[in-house]
Amino acid sequence: MKGIFVIAGKDLRNLFLSPLFFVIAGLCAIVWTLVYFLSLQEFANASQMNALQGGAETASLHFIVFARHISLVNLVMIFAVSSMSMRLFTEEKKNQTMALLLTSPVTATQITFGKFLAGLLAAWALVGVSFFYPASLRVFTAFDWAPLFSSYIGLLLITAAYVAIGMFASSLTESTVLAVVMSLIFNVMLWFIGALSESSQDPFLAKTFEHLNVGGHFMNFIKGSVSLASITFLVSVVVLMTFLTQRVVESNRWR
Amino acid sequence: MNMIEVTGLVKSYGPIHAVKDIQFTVNKGEVVGFLGPNGAGKSTTMKIITGSMAPTGGSVRVAGFDVFENPIEVKKRIGYLPENPPVYGEMTVESYLKFVAKLKGVERNRIGRQVEKSIEKTDLGSVRRRLIQNLSKGFRQRVGIAQALVSDPEVLILDEPTSGLDPRQVAEVRALIHELKGEHTIVLSTHILPEVQTMCDRIIIINRGRIVAEDSLEGLSNRIAGSSYVRIKVARPGVEFESALSGINGVSSVVKIGDGYSVQVRGSDSAVEEIAEVTVRAKVGLLELRREIVDLEEIFLKLTTSEETQSPGSAV
Repeated sequence: MKGIFVIAGKDLRNLFLSPLFFVIAGLCAIVWTLVYFLSLQEFANASQMNALQGGAETASLHFIVFARHISLVNLVMIFAVSSMSMRLFTEEKKNQTMALLLTSPVTATQITFGKFLAGLLAAWALVGVSFFYPASLRVFTAFDWAPLFSSYIGLLLITAAYVAIGMFASSLTESTVLAVVMSLIFNVMLWFIGALSESSQDPFLAKTFEHLNVGGHFMNFIKGSVSLASITFLVSVVVLMTFLTQRVVESNRWR
Repeated sequence: MNMIEVTGLVKSYGPIHAVKDIQFTVNKGEVVGFLGPNGAGKSTTMKIITGSMAPTGGSVRVAGFDVFENPIEVKKRIGYLPENPPVYGEMTVESYLKFVAKLKGVERNRIGRQVEKSIEKTDLGSVRRRLIQNLSKGFRQRVGIAQALVSDPEVLILDEPTSGLDPRQVAEVRALIHELKGEHTIVLSTHILPEVQTMCDRIIIINRGRIVAEDSLEGLSNRIAGSSYVRIKVARPGVEFESALSGINGVSSVVKIGDGYSVQVRGSDSAVEEIAEVTVRAKVGLLELRREIVDLEEIFLKLTTSEETQSPGSAV
């Protein structure tokens, strides 16, 4: 157990001491701020229109501003997490420090969990930053927290899946470029595999693909429903990828 | 007590054997040198002992624990310096050593002391707050050694500990290993001969994945040589003198080299005595008479090349 935290601590420290994390965080902040500002303007316009038309219905802050922000955070995270998690194992292999980890009294499982934890905390730190945007609006107006929280639960889970996928990709290769490309492809595949449900004739297959539809699950979280099926699906992606990574790490001994 | 026990170790990649039937034991407190040409299987054997590589067959026990049944117990007791020091460039020497100490499971209250001790032993005090990526190769190598020492392990496995160091640092590392002798059981590999001569109690010579010899330095010299050479340099070499030398009891061969002779002597000193006498009496103008004990280099070449002639086709 201690081994996990020692490895996670080292990786987090090295990540936060490197310019990479801050460049990524800075770029994310720029994109988010820009789009958030535009959506707020749009929301303001929409409310004004509503008021002018004398409609009782107010424009939905959650759907015009928050949902858009959260989708954007998700999109950005695909790239941000891929470029942070690419180094998790490739660096160890390039520096030849994998030998140190493999000859230390820690198991392959502990190494994998340590790496995952480091990647997860870094990714969640960015998600945490993105939470300030909607939360800061609370100063100006009252809104319902519940759908925002459920959206963020979805966001946390899906970034966990990106981290696990990125970690698996980096465990496969010594090249950081290849790791980031693979991780992006896997992440994008995760989003498009659900689309197969529309094209498959077999009802069983269609149903299966529907369950694998990340977009659908994510939409549920944004709409405010936290379903066990969605949580289970995203957690299984994490578990599967972590398990595969553990096997790859263990297999280092056999090569 | 046997600290390391290796039996019937085999590692093969398909039809190619990286190591084959490696078998040896290392006693507690002993310093054993692995000697062999590049690609002989030294690093492979060391990787298997440290548990970072699994063998195809055979077993390894360290301090009574099997490396594959009880890897954690074994790894707690081993400090390993791989061929390339496993350092993180973006860490400082001190924080790196702290990390390794934690990783190796050193108790919290001993970490500071252990880090200090290994910095002191490897003389890294002047660079302790520098980033490892800015250090020279020699310093990195020393950080690698410090890393192996930081958990105060019973067994030290050092893969070419002096590679990349300048002569002064090489001398320092040798002195350090001398200092560690007794406290730790040490296995080190090298392809530099004088190194084992100065540092090791026992030598294991590996070639093409097999152990070709295993003995103490003197034992090896006696076993392989069983004979010594006398080199004679004279002003007026001649056939009569040569035959007179060959006639001496105990001389097994006389070879003319330049304006001198190399006389192979078997057995006792009396033959050497007689050679001197014959040379003086022959009045050939003795310029030099020198006795040579077969040194490690010759043993090494003899062993590794004879193995080659035995199995010329076996690829490694």
